[in-house]
Amino acid sequence: MLAYILSVLLVFSFSCTQLYAVEVVVNKSVTTHKNNAEDIRAIFTLKKRVWADGKTIQVYTLADDNPVHVSFVKHVLRMLPYHIRRIWDRMTFSGMGNPPIELNSEQEMIQRISSTPDSIGYLTVTPKSDDIHALNYQ
Amino acid sequence: MHSTINRGIVQHKLLQPRVRCVVSLTKTHYLIWYFNRRILYWAFQLNLMVWCCPVMAEAILPNSIQIHGFLTQGFFHSTDNNVYGQSDDGISPGLTEIGANVSYQPLNNLRFAAQGLFRRAGDVDTGSLRLDYGLVDWTIIEHNTGKIGLRAGRIKTPFGLYNETRDVAFTHPTILLPQGIYFDRSRSLLLSSDGGSFYAEQRTEFGDFAFKFNVGIPSNELDEIKTVVLGTHNAQGDFETRPSIAAQLSYEINNGEYIVALSYLDMAFDYSPVLGEDLRKSTSRIKPLMISAQYNGEKITLTGEYQYRWNNFGNFAPFGKFASESWYVEASYRIIPELQATVRYDSQVMDIDDRSGEGAVALGFPRYVAYSKDWVFGLRWDIAPSWMIRGEYHKVHGTAWLPQMDNLDPNQTVQDWDLYGLQLSFKF
Repeated sequence: MLAYILSVLLVFSFSCTQLYAVEVVVNKSVTTHKNNAEDIRAIFTLKKRVWADGKTIQVYTLADDNPVHVSFVKHVLRMLPYHIRRIWDRMTFSGMGNPPIELNSEQEMIQRISSTPDSIGYLTVTPKSDDIHALNYQ
Repeated sequence: MHSTINRGIVQHKLLQPRVRCVVSLTKTHYLIWYFNRRILYWAFQLNLMVWCCPVMAEAILPNSIQIHGFLTQGFFHSTDNNVYGQSDDGISPGLTEIGANVSYQPLNNLRFAAQGLFRRAGDVDTGSLRLDYGLVDWTIIEHNTGKIGLRAGRIKTPFGLYNETRDVAFTHPTILLPQGIYFDRSRSLLLSSDGGSFYAEQRTEFGDFAFKFNVGIPSNELDEIKTVVLGTHNAQGDFETRPSIAAQLSYEINNGEYIVALSYLDMAFDYSPVLGEDLRKSTSRIKPLMISAQYNGEKITLTGEYQYRWNNFGNFAPFGKFASESWYVEASYRIIPELQATVRYDSQVMDIDDRSGEGAVALGFPRYVAYSKDWVFGLRWDIAPSWMIRGEYHKVHGTAWLPQMDNLDPNQTVQDWDLYGLQLSFKF
């Protein structure tokens, strides 16, 4: 039993150390180019909820233990997965805000962002499509 | 007043041998039956939730509607004194908490949110369902770096780092929150209140500021603090809460890597005695001021909160005015991201001018009801994003935070006691 638990823990810890290059992607309706890294963090921590044109931002995310999510949080947001989860949980269970909608795969992320105006998410490879594009920020 | 206390002791002594006898004869059978029943129940409930909810959420719900929830079951064992049921020399059925919430955002600046909470604590509280919050949130101004808005309805009370999500196991590191500050027995006062709230948030280059100001009426269910407020747990009259104030200013650097917060509450409630009762009609007032600080690093989280509380308990006059002090320091270490070890020292003194409890002795209680010092060692394992299990050990000196429903006679309690807790939690 103990050996099983330890091996599960080891698999977990290895899966977290895998590195992915992750890009922030948005629906074609998002045209603003004035975002900086701090704005991206504010969007994913739910502090910034509207784009410059006043439209509500729809945030998508992958599961907490998805390696792409872990890489995104660590290297793009420069935060820790447990930390951003705690911020979301506090919002969710105190009635103060809505957490991002969690999707099952990058494939689903492509579909949902392509079809949802004002949405934002992240991908390892941005598809060549008119409906979705990488968001440039300084 | 003394006659009512004495009656309580006589009742308790009569009951005690019978209860002990039943427990010792059937303890093993009961435990086996209890665990079997509970495991089956859980397996059924969780299967339903795990399979139904995500499917339902994807198939039916638009982005503007979200549904979330949690289920938590805790078990307790203590060497002396009871926590959430007969934990003394046994395992108490503990604490069951089930919550579900829904939020709906029809417009950019308008949102509705509500959460129901079922809670069953120990042997006494056999379970009740309440509306934890139910509010409408109107964002009046929202710009690139901040917002200002109003909320109305039943709103969670902002107090310290954890009060707004005190019943959500995932949001704090140990099973029991530091009891000197997040009292479980006065939880009704602290949970939420019916009224309105003003909020403002501002992001700046040197950190983020948030301010909340709530005015509302908290719940009337204050039976658990009768002894503290009135000097007897047998009071037959009713409490009525008055409109109270909750204010909080918080400052975060680096999206919460460093957090500093200042919280203040001003709460008052009236006691109306029944005819022939040896207690006066009175108004009690509690005003806690708290400073909180936290550092969240990759491996280490350091937390400290200090609370100074002004109390004015009408029925204790002229000695009814006194000040209480509570604080704790806590360190958590993530061995791996999913496994977190926590150590905490938590201290509280009911009356800072009477740290050794002379006043309690004068009222016929043991002196150790006036203070508590609590060492906590805990281990939390986040098995999967939706599942968490944790255990903890408390070494406690004093009974200031001991739940009174589970320990009807304070003179039957013990000053130095150990408490073990185990908790399983699921969320979606």
